[in-house]
Amino acid sequence: MKSALAFLALATIAAGPAMAAGWTMQPAKSSLGFSGVQTGTPFTGQFTQWSAQISYDPANPAAASVKITINTASAKTGDSQRDTAMPDGDWFDSAAFPQAVFQSTGFTPQGGDKFVTNGTLTIRGVTQKLALPFTLDVSGNQAVAKGQITLLRTAYGVGQGDWSTGDWVALNAGVNFTLTATK
Amino acid sequence: MAITLHWVIALGILVQIAMGLAMAHLSIPIHLKFQLYQLHKSIGITVLFAVALRVLWRLTHRPPALPEAMPVLERRAAAGTHFLLYFFMLAMPLTGWALVSVSPYNIPTVLYGLIPWPDLPILSTLSDKHAADAVMTFIHSWLAYILIGVFALHAAAALRHHFWLRDDTLRRMFWRLPRRP
Repeated sequence: MKSALAFLALATIAAGPAMAAGWTMQPAKSSLGFSGVQTGTPFTGQFTQWSAQISYDPANPAAASVKITINTASAKTGDSQRDTAMPDGDWFDSAAFPQAVFQSTGFTPQGGDKFVTNGTLTIRGVTQKLALPFTLDVSGNQAVAKGQITLLRTAYGVGQGDWSTGDWVALNAGVNFTLTATK
Repeated sequence: MAITLHWVIALGILVQIAMGLAMAHLSIPIHLKFQLYQLHKSIGITVLFAVALRVLWRLTHRPPALPEAMPVLERRAAAGTHFLLYFFMLAMPLTGWALVSVSPYNIPTVLYGLIPWPDLPILSTLSDKHAADAVMTFIHSWLAYILIGVFALHAAAALRHHFWLRDDTLRRMFWRLPRRP
């Protein structure tokens, strides 16, 4: 018991410096949205289940790292037909690929509150390089990152078979996020 | 009950034929066409339910007798046409359902945007859906063209009874219209 407590104390001390750069995502103040165009009509949706692991020290942005894990079956647009189709094999194929992952290291300052982080995005098991621009506002113990990017859905195989053309659903899809984290 | 079902189904068939022709042959903006397809599926399944109810009713109730003055040949023609109509009432929604199931687009059916409706088994998981899709499209559309003819024959016969033979055949299809003396 004693040795266990001592180990815990040691572990806590050892973890100290790393913890300083660690941030905890605040789900209630975060959102991950997407947008698309179906038969010429725009729609928007949200991933209701996702999480982020963030390591960021303002003094050393080059050492920052982010891992965002998205439950692909949690995509909701409010249209039950579309929401039923999205997890199916033609789209996210959530049964085979339950998660999409964005992983990056290093925040490159772009002036002001602007940054870019270079990493990879994996959807449907297809991994592509992605440079993600975002803004970052840190005040006290809270940091808010916001960004948006346009993805070519077919680069990740989202939209198989007859959906791999833009006839019914546009090939470009927008992704936007607000990620709030506290230290 | 039988009368109400008759007119509900008749209206359903008319609307479905008009919609089907428009979907297949008019150049409609793609978002409208998509919505039209969804509505066509919703009404089709609704008609299928009405037809199932009607077939049950028909099997448990004796239909009113044909006019006594009707010649044998006309009785046979009427019976044949009615049989064909029942065949099409079932075949149209069923082939439509099959067509949706083999569609390479794999679009889930949600009746009236509210009620999820399953695809038919086997058909929805075929490895080559394009070939099955072409076959089902051919069957569904040609059945529809023939149905237009049978439907018109049935309507024309009803009008002939009403305006030419001047009997009660059409009148008794309107709930409480008084009989002719």
